[in-house]
Amino acid sequence: MAKNRFFPTLKSNGGMLVTLAVFILLPFIVGLFDGASPAQVWINGSGQSKFIQGLAIEIFILALYALSYDLIFGFTGLLSFGHSMFFAVGAYGTGILLKNFGFSLPATFGVIFLAGILQALLFGMVLPRVKGITFALVTLGMASVFHVLVISSELGPYTGSDVGLQGVVPPEFISPASQRLRLYFVTLAVLILVFMLYKRFVNSPTGRVCTAIRENEGRALMLGYNTFYFKLAALALSSLTAALAGMLHTIYQPIVSPNVAGLGYTVTALLIILIGGVGTLNGALVGAVVFRLLDYGLRRYIGESASFINGAVYVAIVLFLPFGIVGTWRLKSAQVKQGWERLAKLFGSR
Amino acid sequence: METILDVQDIHTFIGQYHILQGVSVRAPKGSITALLGRNGAGKTTTLKSILGLTPPRQGKVVFDGREINGMRSFDIASLGIGFVPEHRAIFRDLSVEENLKIAERQKGDYVRKQEFIFSLFPDLKRLIRLPGTHLSGGQQQMLAIARALVADNQLLLIDEPSEGLAPVLIEQLMEAIKQLSAETSVVLVEQNFLVASKLAEYYVIIEEGRSVKQGNMKDLADDKATIHRYLGAA
Repeated sequence: MAKNRFFPTLKSNGGMLVTLAVFILLPFIVGLFDGASPAQVWINGSGQSKFIQGLAIEIFILALYALSYDLIFGFTGLLSFGHSMFFAVGAYGTGILLKNFGFSLPATFGVIFLAGILQALLFGMVLPRVKGITFALVTLGMASVFHVLVISSELGPYTGSDVGLQGVVPPEFISPASQRLRLYFVTLAVLILVFMLYKRFVNSPTGRVCTAIRENEGRALMLGYNTFYFKLAALALSSLTAALAGMLHTIYQPIVSPNVAGLGYTVTALLIILIGGVGTLNGALVGAVVFRLLDYGLRRYIGESASFINGAVYVAIVLFLPFGIVGTWRLKSAQVKQGWERLAKLFGSR
Repeated sequence: METILDVQDIHTFIGQYHILQGVSVRAPKGSITALLGRNGAGKTTTLKSILGLTPPRQGKVVFDGREINGMRSFDIASLGIGFVPEHRAIFRDLSVEENLKIAERQKGDYVRKQEFIFSLFPDLKRLIRLPGTHLSGGQQQMLAIARALVADNQLLLIDEPSEGLAPVLIEQLMEAIKQLSAETSVVLVEQNFLVASKLAEYYVIIEEGRSVKQGNMKDLADDKATIHRYLGAA
């Protein structure tokens, strides 16, 4: 008799399914609190629900971007300081193709897909030669060159130089102005699909070799694995995901700022997975929620000085939850005592 | 007797340091050969040079009739050489089963070999789902050796198998290595002369980066002067 696999699957993915259900219902629940019926929310009326949809879209895009960083850093152990370039290629590429060349969305997606592969190959060229911090610095160099190109006046007609790319008109059927709920569900669906793909990847034999490379590349080599190809596979998947996140960013945002090509945006990805938990995948999702809501909440209620409190909160998370929120949850041990000790060490007391 | 591994006068540099200054090792097929010597003599570097991790600049390494020096490490490993590094080098974030499966060279290697592996190391069967990080030192060492048995290796290079283990575990490990040598040739580095003399049939003594003596282990066991001179044991 065939074994019933439905209930075990349901049990092991219960948390995920509940989260998914919450996000599916979120716009309608917020609408109800705001006095709008589900039908009004469905036809994309304005109000609190539409605002929350926008905030959630930003979180989904950040989560997608952070997932891509978790794959190469958290799972494969490749510390890249040029990850923002992966995102920016998607963001700028989409904007330029839609605005300057009048490409359709599927054609744009095709080009971005190719660009994602190409930039992974570009990073891959240095993989056999440099490791660790040297790899981080070389990737930073590559991303810096891209950043300089983006803000150069020569490319200004396409990239908008240091002002940023403006005036991109996204396709009507997922326009954030008139079809925000649809864009919300599209972004959510992309995030869920990518998350499932990543789960599959890290639990596959290829994913396990990536974990082995992170732990000790020499040992993986001694088992007969040409580790270069595994690192390249992780880079390619990560690059495609980040470019896809960049593409969604351009569709949602009215402007592509050159900041998304800078080192700061790579640090954003690193920060998100540090908050959520490095090498956990779920941590990228949790980290994106905490990161965006904290930033939004503090800016709204405190203003510009929010950055200072934001920084303090991140330091506190690193000190007291060194495995991130998800990592600590799994280990079931917050390091409160050790956190105070680390804090004391920071200020030089014993 | 047929030779599985023939290392001929290799010279290896690490940075500017000339670590191996002429090491030769002949390991007969189907036997255990021990590399002996004091700390820092160059035993581990010899294993790493065979594997291409610290490639020799001079000399030849011949495995099963084929010259392998100059080849890349993963290509050397793919020829059928398994390596068990010192310090119980397992993948701590992977479970026992994942640690074993990752060593498959062909699909189905693990399923085919698991009965043999668990007969050598029964403890591992019980711990199969546990992450590597939860294993004790002895269990990690067993897993490291078991991992090298998953693929069809003709030669196993084992670095310091008894290091830091309790005597009862050393006995268990020695028994397992003896059993597996019936199927696979073994070259091991061992500081503990008592363990090496009980396990190995052949020996090579390495002193300050040079192989100074090799032969039959039974002869060495009777040669107290050589033992005292090169190994510091009486």
